[in-house]
Amino acid sequence: MLLAFFLIALLCISVGCTSDMPQEKTVLKVLPAGSLLQPFDEVEKAFEAQHPDVDVQVEGHGSIQVIRQVTDLHRPIDVVAVADASLIPDLMFRTDSTTGANFTDSYTPFATNAMVIAYTNRSRYADEITTENWGEVLSRTDVRVGISNPMLDAAGYRSIMVTLLADQYYQNSTLFPVLIGSHFTPPLVTEDGDGIVTVRLPEVLRPSDEKLVIRDGSIFVLSHLEAGGIDYAFEYRNVAEGHNLRWINLPQEIDLSSPDYAEEYGKVRVILGFQRFSAIGQDRTGQPIVYAVTIPNSAPNRELAQEFADLVIQMTKSGGKGWPATLN
Amino acid sequence: MIRTATGICVMLIVFCSCAGCTGTTPAASLQPVTPSADDFSTWNLTVNSTTRQVYSLDQIRAFPSTTGHGFAVSTVGIKYGPYICKGVLLTDLLKPSGGIAPGDQVWISAPDGYLWVFDYDQMQGTGFITFNESLKEIPSPPLRILLMYEQDGKPLSYNDGGPLRVAIISDEKGVVTEGSAWVKWVDSIEIKKK
Repeated sequence: MLLAFFLIALLCISVGCTSDMPQEKTVLKVLPAGSLLQPFDEVEKAFEAQHPDVDVQVEGHGSIQVIRQVTDLHRPIDVVAVADASLIPDLMFRTDSTTGANFTDSYTPFATNAMVIAYTNRSRYADEITTENWGEVLSRTDVRVGISNPMLDAAGYRSIMVTLLADQYYQNSTLFPVLIGSHFTPPLVTEDGDGIVTVRLPEVLRPSDEKLVIRDGSIFVLSHLEAGGIDYAFEYRNVAEGHNLRWINLPQEIDLSSPDYAEEYGKVRVILGFQRFSAIGQDRTGQPIVYAVTIPNSAPNRELAQEFADLVIQMTKSGGKGWPATLN
Repeated sequence: MIRTATGICVMLIVFCSCAGCTGTTPAASLQPVTPSADDFSTWNLTVNSTTRQVYSLDQIRAFPSTTGHGFAVSTVGIKYGPYICKGVLLTDLLKPSGGIAPGDQVWISAPDGYLWVFDYDQMQGTGFITFNESLKEIPSPPLRILLMYEQDGKPLSYNDGGPLRVAIISDEKGVVTEGSAWVKWVDSIEIKKK
């Protein structure tokens, strides 16, 4: 009898101590802006290859929503990367009431981008459009244009800024009213004061005709473009490239890519229709596009997070298809 | 008998040891886990118009209820749902506050600082962008704005936006709507007159 119990006990030992129980991986939670999703997919693969015991979980949102996951929703996030570096000091250099410390104390700018005009082979006048005549082509009555929702996506208000800057850059240009302003009821108009041109958006952004299409996020605008529902879309260059689209580069004076033109960019402003987030106001003033990464002070895995951020910066320098340009 | 008892003791000790060897069970999980239900007893909803109404969750539940299919997508294409959504129609809830007229807007907000605005057309169920489950745009079927308090037959949990969350519902399955309007943790509604 004793022998039987002893054998059972030995069996238990062997089952309990030598079975191939999978070790739980450390989860590294990474939240990038939507326009970084494709490159961050590459970073995730590279990082997990270096760290087989880590499961990188990438979850994309708009830049403000990315930050809100930390500041308002108090989620344990390891890495935050946004398409507008200024959002980090504005929204995260403040005290987290649950810890008494700031949400973060530093950030690293690592990339820039440019607004371009994306299109496909089937877009109307695809064989005619150039860097010189893009405004005239987009203005044609049978051409449909798409932007993402400025309330939800930085690319959306940056698209409007490009049309405002173009109207300043090109003589006798009326791109903002022709492409955007006149397709609302009542029409959106510009206000000029203190050398700044301002557009005030309505609370609900619903175009009154089919010339202009607005969708919540870039992926839906591009889906519309690829399906032929629109002919051209204002988009980030890296996103157009990542989706295998054709695109027209715009002059640096209007494409929001260059710090050399920061003063010029600052002469246009978009006021959003309502304050969607209580933490941030409605005014968006033009400035060069700068991406930044930060590690929240509440990050559960700080060392791994820093390694991941370092890899983002390193891989951005190497670049590749669908990557935003590294900062010089 | 004594040998048998000794054997059982040895077996139990060894068995306990082997359970410990796996090393994957946190000590806390040895305690019985009885997750408590979310407590919404102090929660209320304020509706501001020409008058101010304050509702408890029980009072919200006393309105006629509506059930429909809800399915949302984020700005980067993450789908949430499909859900069976039960709650009170926004139009029904606003009737005691005078309802809304053409040109009015409804501002819905939550204590996390999120705000969304619906116009009169959307209150009538039109003016939304809709997709199929593959996220291809489709013509919008009739839609309604619901303040959901039950999801898939269960009270809406805090983590899902409870006790009250906006849901855009349809009588059809598989109709996906833009998630920006699905305000979680709703506690304030304001009717802005034209």
